[in-house]
Amino acid sequence: MQADRVRHAVAPVLGSGLLFLFLVAGSLLYAATGDAAANSLVTQMLINAVVVLGIQIYIGNTGVLSFGHIGFGAIAGYAFAICAISPERKLRQIPNAPFGLAEVDFTPLQSGLIAVTLTVIVAFLIGLALSRSGARSGAVAAVVITLALLFVVHEVARNWIDLTRGGKTGLSFSPLGNATLQGKLPIYLILLGAIGLARLFKETRAGRLAQAAREDDLAARVMGIDPAVQQMIALLLSVVVVSAGSALRVFELGSINPRLFFFDYTLLTLTMLIVGGRNSVVGALTGVLIITVGSELTRNLSEVDIQGMNWLLRDGLTDIFLGGAMLGFMILRPAGLLGDWELDHWSLRRLRRTEPPPVPPPSTDGDQTPTTVLKVTNVTVHFGGYQALADAGLEAASGEIVGLIGPNGAGKTTLLNVITGLVESDNGQTALGGVILTGVSPHVIARSGLARTFQNFRLFSALSVRENIGVVRLVAKHFRRDRPLPPVGALMAQAGLWEQRDRRASELDYGNARRLELARAAAAGPEFLLLDEPTSGMSDSESRAMIDQVRSMAKLIGAGVVVIDHDLNFITGICDRVYVLDQGRVIAVGTPAEIAANPAVQTAYLGTAE
Amino acid sequence: MIELIQQIIDGLGRGGIYALLALGIAVIFGVMHLINFAHGELITVSAYTSYWLFASGLNWWFIAPTVIVVAVLTAVIIEFVAFRWVRGAPDFTMLMTSFGVHFLVQALFVMYVSANFRQFPRPGWIFDTWRIGGLSLEVFDLAVIAATLVTLLGTYWLLQRTMFGVSLRAAAEDFDTARLMGIRSNRVIRGAFVLSGVLAGVAAVFWLMRSGQAGPTAGLNPMLKGVLAALIGGLGSLSGAVLGGITLGLVEVLLISRLPGGTAGLTDGIVFLLIALLFVFRPQGLITVRRVERV
Repeated sequence: MQADRVRHAVAPVLGSGLLFLFLVAGSLLYAATGDAAANSLVTQMLINAVVVLGIQIYIGNTGVLSFGHIGFGAIAGYAFAICAISPERKLRQIPNAPFGLAEVDFTPLQSGLIAVTLTVIVAFLIGLALSRSGARSGAVAAVVITLALLFVVHEVARNWIDLTRGGKTGLSFSPLGNATLQGKLPIYLILLGAIGLARLFKETRAGRLAQAAREDDLAARVMGIDPAVQQMIALLLSVVVVSAGSALRVFELGSINPRLFFFDYTLLTLTMLIVGGRNSVVGALTGVLIITVGSELTRNLSEVDIQGMNWLLRDGLTDIFLGGAMLGFMILRPAGLLGDWELDHWSLRRLRRTEPPPVPPPSTDGDQTPTTVLKVTNVTVHFGGYQALADAGLEAASGEIVGLIGPNGAGKTTLLNVITGLVESDNGQTALGGVILTGVSPHVIARSGLARTFQNFRLFSALSVRENIGVVRLVAKHFRRDRPLPPVGALMAQAGLWEQRDRRASELDYGNARRLELARAAAAGPEFLLLDEPTSGMSDSESRAMIDQVRSMAKLIGAGVVVIDHDLNFITGICDRVYVLDQGRVIAVGTPAEIAANPAVQTAYLGTAE
Repeated sequence: MIELIQQIIDGLGRGGIYALLALGIAVIFGVMHLINFAHGELITVSAYTSYWLFASGLNWWFIAPTVIVVAVLTAVIIEFVAFRWVRGAPDFTMLMTSFGVHFLVQALFVMYVSANFRQFPRPGWIFDTWRIGGLSLEVFDLAVIAATLVTLLGTYWLLQRTMFGVSLRAAAEDFDTARLMGIRSNRVIRGAFVLSGVLAGVAAVFWLMRSGQAGPTAGLNPMLKGVLAALIGGLGSLSGAVLGGITLGLVEVLLISRLPGGTAGLTDGIVFLLIALLFVFRPQGLITVRRVERV
């Protein structure tokens, strides 16, 4: 097991190294066979690779679409240029620079560090704004905020003539404005760092939590993940890489102007990222390669003169290629060429095939854990004029399985939503072991010991079965240390998902998806499992098997259960006590037998006997 | 006081165009959950149409209706070529698709026409002003306000009183349920694009009368203004979009008159910044549409 863990950690490192070697060897070979133009093309490609990897760290892991990363690049580029250009040149170009910046003199390395630091500070502020706006995968607010950054930085660069020399000429390192970067070593070092960082971040805790939130923001929060924190970490790391790459780009070109870091470069880098696969590091690099080669080919083709082909082979073909690639991939293959595949997955697949099935873990003894009580009282909820819950409540003790039944619209799911913090109640409160959880964020409630499933299940669909459970267990290891946390393998085996362990959640059939949700909730190490219709859509035999599954899962983690269901056989078969809700009120409580005999319940379900 | 009334009328003139653009974007968002960043391309195509028609010696009386027809056709073609294939896709895919269309159309114009802007004559009357008391009313602003009112009333009638309007509103409310109730999704979506094309066409006529130029990026500014106005209005809401457009127009006019000299060029940047701040503090837009996510 220990050796496996080492291999899991080492494989991505080796994979990144290999990727780097491929890139460098390839580019050296190409540059050696070509002329100066080929050499400069290769240099630009490697620098673009750094910038694209930086963007990948953010967009790939969080799914938040950012148009502002090139804006960060512009900040870094200008900061670098203003620090690194010699005072003598600066006094000629920007003699009125504020804060005496015209006289400062830094080495390129120092300037790079200053540029990265400054940009990261700006990124932190933007990150706060993003999290305030509730950024999540595909969020519009994030698009607006990042676009605003790109625009505002551009406008400032064009208009703050004293500092940037404006949009016409820009700043340059030497009178002729030619390349200043000597040797490729800095590029190689930064590229190696970027590949390693991007690849390893995917495996870190922050990276994996961010990916879960990317797949389903709401499910992530009720599993105890705070997406804002993970997104901030991803943003800062990604901006470090982007700004290092942008400083390199400026240094290599020997000059900077506002157009260098604006829409065109945003389009170029985003297309590179999307074509290869934004969720993958190899994918991002593949995209850089394809788009670089494609742009170069189309640029050359546009100068070719072939009879009858002039309608196609003309100036502007490169932009058609870029726009077409972006559009074509979004329509035909939105995940890009490689999806989320990484080079090192190849070695892990062999490792996983020979993995031994887990030994069943010792079941926890119910007596060892002290009894905790979940107490929900006087909950009232209105949606507009509609009263969904009126003074409803329930009580459950650990070790107990409590059912919640009622006709459609009785308010069962709403009650669960109130308990898990997804819906705000007008009054009433939830207390778990005496701790009041009303008015607390969903992720804090989850960390306090309540884990739930959903009526229309919400799995992290692009993640595998193993990852779905594993990512929640990562959170639990942090916040639920005092609870029995069975290993991922044991949970998968318990839920009957061992054979499916490396399949994507989106590929599972209905029953398996339900069982995965149960196992994922159990992985959170909760005091109580809150299950919303675990048998809906299941056959009779599957639903009977679910009784045992829920029981043994609850026993495995020593948790109590509150379960909503319509299947009365299931409810009577599993519950110790049952609450009946009707029109937002609790109309009966008791053992399943008592409930079945209760006339009020019969009326609610079957209508009055005439 | 007079000054303020003056500015409000100026702002309504600006805001009317924005409202038309925003409404077109909100209609599409309603049925497809797509933020159409390619909406500005309708203006770009209209701009080139105007330029060529002028070059052939035609006048605004002929050009205006033609521009509207061309905008509608463009909207339908874009739907058919691109957006049809990403219906129901994740938000990320749809956002990138609309940006893809935006960039591709721009690239096509650069390739087949020119990267440079071309001028065409603006109608003479747009510079006329009427003096009433201390107010100097631009005829153009009044024309925009009148045309906007007529178009909005027409749209209102269409949405409230016709079968198509009811289907469209139903689809905007809950697309899946609307489909189950027998509303034909293809027809509703195509209809929404036609409607957004008409609205963009009317907006284009006035936008172009004032700018008098055609270029590959002619649509960028109107698109941004339309999207921002729709965002202010909360995206899903049609009346919100109209209010958003008018708010944006008024804010711009007030900013331009209040900003110290020399910084007027920064108006767009400041507006963008304000909207971004709005999103930081009110992510659901100025006019809240309650969207409860069912779990």
